[in-house]
Amino acid sequence: MSVDWLSILDAEGNVDESLEPKLDTETLEKFYRTMVLTRMYDDKALKLQRQGRMLTFGSSLGQEATAVGSAFAMKPDDWFFPAFREHGVQIARGIPLSLLYIYWMGSEDANLKLPPKNFPVAIPVSTQILHAVGAAWAAKIKKQNIASVVYFGDGATSEGDFHEGMNFAGVFKTPTVFICQNNQYAISLPREKQTASKTLAQKALAYGFEGIQIDGNDVLAVYSVTLTALEKARSGGGPTMIECFTYRMGPHTTSDDPTKYRKAAEVEEWKKKDPIKRLRIYLEKKGMWDQSREDAMIKEITDEVEKAVKEAESYKPVVENMFKYVYADKPLHLKEQMDELQGFISKRRGNESG
Amino acid sequence: MVDVKFPDVGEGVTEGTIVKWLVKEGDEIKADQTVAEIETDKAIVEIPSSEAGKIVKLVGKEGDVIKVGSTLASLALPGEAVGKPETGVPEKPGEAKPAEAKPTEAEPTEAKPTEAKPSEVKPTEVKPTEAKPGEVKPTEVKPTEVKPQEKPAEMLGRVLAVPSTRRLARELGVDISKVKGTGPGGRITDEDVRKSTVTEAKAEAKVEVPQAPETRKPEAAPVEITREIKALEERIPIKGIRKTIGERMVLSLFTAPHVVSMDEADVTELVKLREKEKKLAEEKGIKLTYLAFIVKAVTVALKQHPYLNASLDSKKNEIVLKRYYNIGIAVDTPEGLMVPVIKDADRKSIMELARVSEKLADEARTRKIKLPDLKGNTFTITNIGSIGGIFSTPIINPPDVAILGIHRIRDMPVVIDGEIKIRKILPIVLSFDHRVLDGAQAARFMNTLIEHLKDPDLLLLDGV
Repeated sequence: MSVDWLSILDAEGNVDESLEPKLDTETLEKFYRTMVLTRMYDDKALKLQRQGRMLTFGSSLGQEATAVGSAFAMKPDDWFFPAFREHGVQIARGIPLSLLYIYWMGSEDANLKLPPKNFPVAIPVSTQILHAVGAAWAAKIKKQNIASVVYFGDGATSEGDFHEGMNFAGVFKTPTVFICQNNQYAISLPREKQTASKTLAQKALAYGFEGIQIDGNDVLAVYSVTLTALEKARSGGGPTMIECFTYRMGPHTTSDDPTKYRKAAEVEEWKKKDPIKRLRIYLEKKGMWDQSREDAMIKEITDEVEKAVKEAESYKPVVENMFKYVYADKPLHLKEQMDELQGFISKRRGNESG
Repeated sequence: MVDVKFPDVGEGVTEGTIVKWLVKEGDEIKADQTVAEIETDKAIVEIPSSEAGKIVKLVGKEGDVIKVGSTLASLALPGEAVGKPETGVPEKPGEAKPAEAKPTEAEPTEAKPTEAKPSEVKPTEVKPTEAKPGEVKPTEVKPTEVKPQEKPAEMLGRVLAVPSTRRLARELGVDISKVKGTGPGGRITDEDVRKSTVTEAKAEAKVEVPQAPETRKPEAAPVEITREIKALEERIPIKGIRKTIGERMVLSLFTAPHVVSMDEADVTELVKLREKEKKLAEEKGIKLTYLAFIVKAVTVALKQHPYLNASLDSKKNEIVLKRYYNIGIAVDTPEGLMVPVIKDADRKSIMELARVSEKLADEARTRKIKLPDLKGNTFTITNIGSIGGIFSTPIINPPDVAILGIHRIRDMPVVIDGEIKIRKILPIVLSFDHRVLDGAQAARFMNTLIEHLKDPDLLLLDGV
């Protein structure tokens, strides 16, 4: 019994030519731009939070390759089930930045406007795995030629939902791709205390399907493996679990202080494996990228991010929406709460105008 | 002018300590540039400014504790005239002088996305033309527009007014730091002060939600007087142990109704015993203290009066009687009072108690003490007498329900069998939580304790 390890692009930007996917310039540039955009979106979000303009936020700093590589392997018609650190997938799937900021500023209205096939963020750990397996099973029954992709962290693999979902997917051969973002810490709990298993990917073997461990900071590996897993899923080959071996460079969320549970030297080691840096070197070696293009892109992205923040901050949330979408028929207690809130708001408006 | 506030950066954070300022007053900063590092109970976080501009004032020193929602720094937006009232010329946004309203350029060479640090990806461009028109022409602001929520602290140190105008302001109860000057070089005139009395009254009437009181009440002569006094005062930030002591004492005194019982113990025999055995202890490297005997006597008395070795579970409305005896010993340290705890004191000999209490006290004074040694107290003794005083009213150390204060042993005249004798007297006090205990129980406990201190042979019979 063993689990394969795949890496195509190493930390220094050297590529294994035998495994290198054949991608055109445009696609590679799209990968690169989306990864940088994700990082700058993240960075801005952290600043907004520290300025009191946004709520708790979990940065995906350092995990951009896992998100972007897998997202571009998906088709628009495939289902996407995120945890809460999949900003790069959301951006790659074309969800407007302003909508993402609106959500993290605290309005769930953003979820109403998500493009089809994109599920909302799941804060509870691993619940989305069941949804993803269910959606995949439905697609199989309906003979739709689509797959579902679900994201979760290393911590989720200790949850019951994970094991139920994996077992069900194995038994019913659902077209599901399980992407585990193993970023080494479940908040403060290190990976080696999460499970005695040598890898997370090997858990798939117990459920009777393929599990593979890959360099999650290598966008080419993530893309290639996800593409293969999706093709297999859509053609009836059943589920795959992909363990993306990566690292959360920042805190778990804005309420966390990682210096309390991990050493600076460890973070420095992972800095050398930065996913964006290695892709840039790869592009430069191929003559596809240079400093002037970089400068132009950064300026463009800065404007894009600032514009999105402006849009998000000028958005007026519809408060009634928070009562609307959990139940098809609103139960009495929610109706009462909504009436109370509306009464409070109209009274305040009356006071303001008077 | 805009304020850089300290927001709730965690979930439910209420305050933080300024660890480090990363900008100085007068610095031009970019939007999203970090202003300060602040330590909350969760982490040290960097607080960036939302806007670009010039730092006019930093509120507080490194080490100061600030509340969530309060102002960290005041910022003049690009184009806003600051600290140079002699220019006096209204500036239009487009005409902003380059020195004051430098558009902070994106520095693409610095913004390498290939570097992992998020703060290094910050090509933020700030256009001075984005400054809101209302904020650009400060000299046009009429006194009637003075906002009541503007904090005087923002303006402190920049008030231009002759002494007679200042006196007028004091007499009229006007906060001069809030008055906009219309005189030469932005100087505040008598007329400005008189006008603002009308304005303040109006503005105050409009405000619905009062701000922190000190920012709103126009106190007479706030500026000069505070300055004079400030020179004679030293302000020490409350933090660390001092802060913990304060919080715990407030919690204790305002939750538990304290009653204090005072008494005296004749320890003449105990003094003799100690003198006799001191040498033996010294040979073993132990300093045989009275405290060791007292701790022993206390544990014996606690076993006979279990309600003194207890805590109150107010959630469940239950008294928790504890069958373990961890005695806290209050120790005076350079940083403040600390209470190391002797675990299972009832199972230790007097010699051992002497050794352990000295060790813990030393560790506390040198800050080498470990956290577990500061926790788990079931009863506390405070040895006030080693420094001075005859009687005191100690505050209970939560979650205990009682605390024993011991004072200095003195030679006192005592009447024994109709004759005055000179005896060694130890004053002792007991504060107890009247929710759990009544005076009679406390007095009985004290009697048992006094008995054992008076006749240390009993410690041999009753001990362990």
